[in-house]
Amino acid sequence: MAVERVLPADLESGPTDEELVASTLQGDLAAYDELIRRFQGRLYGVIYHLTSNHEDTNDLLMEVFDKAYRSLPTFRGQSSFYTWIYRIAINRSFNFLDKRKRRQGAMSLNDLDEEGLPKVDLPDVSPQNNPNKAIVLNELQNKLNESMLKLSKEHRTVVTLFDIQGLAHAEIAKVMGCTEGTVRSRLHYAHKQLQKSLGIYLKR
Amino acid sequence: MSQKEDFSELQKLLHLKRLETPGREYFDRFLDAFHAYQRREILQQEPWYAKLVEVLCEPWVAGVPRLATVAASAACLVAGVAFFLGPTQPGTAQLADGKVVHPKGIVVAAVHDQAFKELQPELIETAAGGDEIQIPPLYVNGHNALAYDSRLTF
Repeated sequence: MAVERVLPADLESGPTDEELVASTLQGDLAAYDELIRRFQGRLYGVIYHLTSNHEDTNDLLMEVFDKAYRSLPTFRGQSSFYTWIYRIAINRSFNFLDKRKRRQGAMSLNDLDEEGLPKVDLPDVSPQNNPNKAIVLNELQNKLNESMLKLSKEHRTVVTLFDIQGLAHAEIAKVMGCTEGTVRSRLHYAHKQLQKSLGIYLKR
Repeated sequence: MSQKEDFSELQKLLHLKRLETPGREYFDRFLDAFHAYQRREILQQEPWYAKLVEVLCEPWVAGVPRLATVAASAACLVAGVAFFLGPTQPGTAQLADGKVVHPKGIVVAAVHDQAFKELQPELIETAAGGDEIQIPPLYVNGHNALAYDSRLTF
């Protein structure tokens, strides 16, 4: 299925990412602010769908932009800035998830839901004027997040980048440093797993 | 329903997750929050090992190609092993000016001054060689540290 690419309007005009990187390196800090504005939404999405926690996502997003800023002099333009910063975000998120997994043994019961999974932050996306629909939507959202958290971090990443963010297979392969074939097979496996756990909602 | 159609239904469901975003106000404030975060980070000194961990874990971010990192690590390991397992025999070489070079690359000044030996006999631990082999004595201080060529003192 073709997924529409989500591109903010400001990416289609104005200086390119690489021009902004060059300006930043020449001391124009406003250029880096512009890069942050361009990527904050998408990187937030990637990190959030991997961690399922808004507070952790906020901390990680700061870390990612800070890390990218400090490492900018070493950015040689072999890949696009877009790929490079996505890789930083994914790498940081993976490190965080590994730490969280190790920590889970020491987690308080208050941090876990009834199935033993870390509690997730869910924004209220329910329609205010339809309580029944809101209940169903909330239930669906919970189940969706629960199923996502059961996937391995690599599988969750491909689902996030492909299905939620709308990146192409080739772009995902560059970001994750693997082949397109690997991306496709991970995606297929992840879809099958999600379908298995969300089947009841898909048949409604 | 085919499997492909099933996946497209699933993908529609996954599109719901696009709604899980903190909203415009958060992103409007993010830049200021980030600048405050950076100021805090600058004030905190990163420990020396943090850079090492970074280079080993994220060499491509630190600007080091992964292969170069592996090669450098392997070279360090080999050099380390060679240093500790290397010959321990005290093979020395005498320089023209009377100084002695030891296997570990330490240059020791030649001391022929009898008065110095008499004044500080406790500093003289060994006197290599005899009448036929003229190798100046090595001398150590009270902490077993070799005395260095004055040019190497710090």
